[in-house]
Amino acid sequence: MLVKTADVVVIGGGIQGCAVAYNLAKMGCKDVVLLEKDTIASGSTGRCAAGIRAQWGTEMNCRLGIASIEIFENLSEELGADIGLHQGGYLMIAYKESEFEQLKKNVKLQNSLGIKSKVISAQEAKEICPLLNTEGAVGFTFHQRDGHADPLLTTFAYAEAASRLGVKIYDFTEVIGIDLEGDRIKGVRTNRGYISTRVVVNCAGPYAKRIGEFVGVDLPIYPERHEILVTEPIERVSHPMLMSFSGNFYIQQRPHGSFIMGYGPKEHEKTHAVNSTWMFLEEMARKFVKLLPALKELRVVRQWAGSYEMSPDAQPILGEVDEVEGFYVSAGFSGHGFMFGPITGKLMAELILTGETSIPIQMLNYRRFERHELIREPAVV
Amino acid sequence: MKETDILVVGGGPAGLCAAIEAARAGARVLIIDDGLRLGGQLIKQTHKFFGSKDEYAGTRGFKIADVLLSELERYGDRVEAITNTTVTGYYTDDGVFGALTGEERYFKVKPKRAIIATGAYEKTIPVPNCDLPGVYGAGAVQTLMNVYGVKPGEKALMVGAGNIGLIISYQLAQAGVQVQAVVEAMPKIGGYLVHASKIRRIGIPIYTSHTIKEIHGKEHVEGATIVQIDERWEPISGTEKYIEADLICLAVGLSPLIELLWQAGCKMRYVPELGGYVPVRNREMRTSHPDFYVAGDAAAIEEASTAMIEGRIAGLCAAASLGYRPPDYEERLEGFWAQLERLRRGPVTEKIRQGLPKAMKEE
Amino acid sequence: MGGWIREHPILTYQHGRKVKFYVDGKEYEGYEGEPIAAALHANGIRVYRKSMVLERPRGFFCAVGKCSSCFMVVNGTPNVRVCITPLKEGMRIETQVGKGEIR
Repeated sequence: MLVKTADVVVIGGGIQGCAVAYNLAKMGCKDVVLLEKDTIASGSTGRCAAGIRAQWGTEMNCRLGIASIEIFENLSEELGADIGLHQGGYLMIAYKESEFEQLKKNVKLQNSLGIKSKVISAQEAKEICPLLNTEGAVGFTFHQRDGHADPLLTTFAYAEAASRLGVKIYDFTEVIGIDLEGDRIKGVRTNRGYISTRVVVNCAGPYAKRIGEFVGVDLPIYPERHEILVTEPIERVSHPMLMSFSGNFYIQQRPHGSFIMGYGPKEHEKTHAVNSTWMFLEEMARKFVKLLPALKELRVVRQWAGSYEMSPDAQPILGEVDEVEGFYVSAGFSGHGFMFGPITGKLMAELILTGETSIPIQMLNYRRFERHELIREPAVV
Repeated sequence: MKETDILVVGGGPAGLCAAIEAARAGARVLIIDDGLRLGGQLIKQTHKFFGSKDEYAGTRGFKIADVLLSELERYGDRVEAITNTTVTGYYTDDGVFGALTGEERYFKVKPKRAIIATGAYEKTIPVPNCDLPGVYGAGAVQTLMNVYGVKPGEKALMVGAGNIGLIISYQLAQAGVQVQAVVEAMPKIGGYLVHASKIRRIGIPIYTSHTIKEIHGKEHVEGATIVQIDERWEPISGTEKYIEADLICLAVGLSPLIELLWQAGCKMRYVPELGGYVPVRNREMRTSHPDFYVAGDAAAIEEASTAMIEGRIAGLCAAASLGYRPPDYEERLEGFWAQLERLRRGPVTEKIRQGLPKAMKEE
Repeated sequence: MGGWIREHPILTYQHGRKVKFYVDGKEYEGYEGEPIAAALHANGIRVYRKSMVLERPRGFFCAVGKCSSCFMVVNGTPNVRVCITPLKEGMRIETQVGKGEIR
């Protein structure tokens, strides 16, 4: 049976929803409900490649990235469950001079914010990843504290820790409407009953736009299909995430031993579809073999797809929605929701409970789109 | 990219019959099988089949495979068969299948229709040490001894007294393996009495209402403790028996291999009587996806004899859906269904009769 | 333990050519084109690998290439399903420990 009332209703059981709910409870908010239409981490989170990085090209993303890494580094201990963290670093590879110039600019920005990333030579790149074929590359940057965590373990750990603190989590519970009283949240309608509440947090990822529509707010978030494949596991031969924007790929060996990899679609289709294509399988295999030729015998064991929840400037939409009192958004992460989850979950809880945040996030408010204050993140695959 | 009218995935009894029937009607057929030879599980079956002449009664399984293969040869180059090849996936955007021969050659197939005759996969039982070498699926043991002439062990314990467990116990004895016992968790033997009497006659005890409590061994199986269970499946203490064995054969049921049907988005239903999740289908063995047909154990865990007829129905109807409709279509289809109904009479197939309506499409 | 069945009341076996192969450096004989697992079993070899985490012995199980129990290193390639991979003259087969390495 669903509860009848709650102080806060969090919509969405991915990393955002679970981290927001956990942080709310941790800060003392005792009456939190989380609603998930399927199962925990069944959407974008559970399908993501789970990279974690601070090597960004905008100040905001750099700040969020490094703050999140700091939380990840102690998260297993905090939540009382292994999250599968491996900090093998991100090795960024530029194939064009202009791209390398941008990477160098990014490193300068990152260093100014305390992120110890660095420009490295091909020789150093080979020392970090001996199997790497550096042919055609013009430059590299590296940051050791970047890495990987298991998205399912991490999200489950958040959900379980939240439950222990009293958060009520309902799976297979879909929000079908939100009632307002004037311009204030009154309650949430679900397929399993009604919950009266004054506060709703929209963490619905690629479905965030639909949740916004329930209160008459047009959130510019749309889903985009991104594909991934994974190989059989082998003993560790490579530590860093290999990433290139012009090469359009990311490739990393997971702690489990398998390699996980993907690239951005050429045509950006706005779709919730998450089916796989053979074109991706073939193209990805080509990119992989070119980059790590010694591993050409590795077998592909599985491929799948998930939704990036895109925003127009590839930065998240965070904060309150001023025309509807009690309606908050934490969505539009554009492929980086998992890595930002620990910090944005904390910031959203701070904002909801105190009205202030330890990192200023006003510029990520959804009003930025009508004010045309877009800062496009340059470092996106 | 290979193109064909009908792709048959699986070259066992269901797949071969589907291919024969579709080719007879005039369709081009490609069979892909992951085994080293065609015939599926038939090639290891040395027992004689039941039923009537239409179902090859009195013929041993591996001979039926030969009969089907020579029947297939009649259609010459309308049929192509590729072995040692796994169909790796189905891509819904453009209806393309991926396939991998051995571990070297990857290719794609774009058929107009697909018949999924992938068969089934052996279940296991969760008891301590069930992962030790020497604990084998009963079908796997049959492959070792009947196809490749390898003695699978010296002393065997069979788990499961359904037809598979009973038949393979007898075959183990024929191969010179000492079968110590057959244990069966149900209070009575599930398989045909003929098979049970045969193995009792050669002195193999059958313990009903018994299960394996623990398997023993370090590097591989050395024995097992069996125990009697009550009507609530709880072990009765004091009834434990140690049985020495270097081979434990599991004949505890099969699960349909249905990954491709899931990938295609076919409507699936959980029907325990048929072995688990199975695709919803109609009298043509067509699934909810109009390009996908199913036959054999992938449709429901039954016997090779029913699999062959389902295969024929799927082959006939898939071909007809492409315009290859033989003049005797109606009589043939009705004839196949009459055969199926005949084979599904009797107490052993009662579960199947209960389960099938749940998997048939409401029309 | 194991061995080839020489007499059978119903079956006569048509084996291929006899070939030599090696397991962990030791020489054995089997029939060409038959699954590696059959030859191993006939030679009394039942432990094929040690599992990834607990290093438990693993061997043959399903014989249809589905269960992942029978992975071995064959001619340097790890994770080869020996139940459905045909034996060839001179194959070098090794017990696989853990995840396997690409060499």
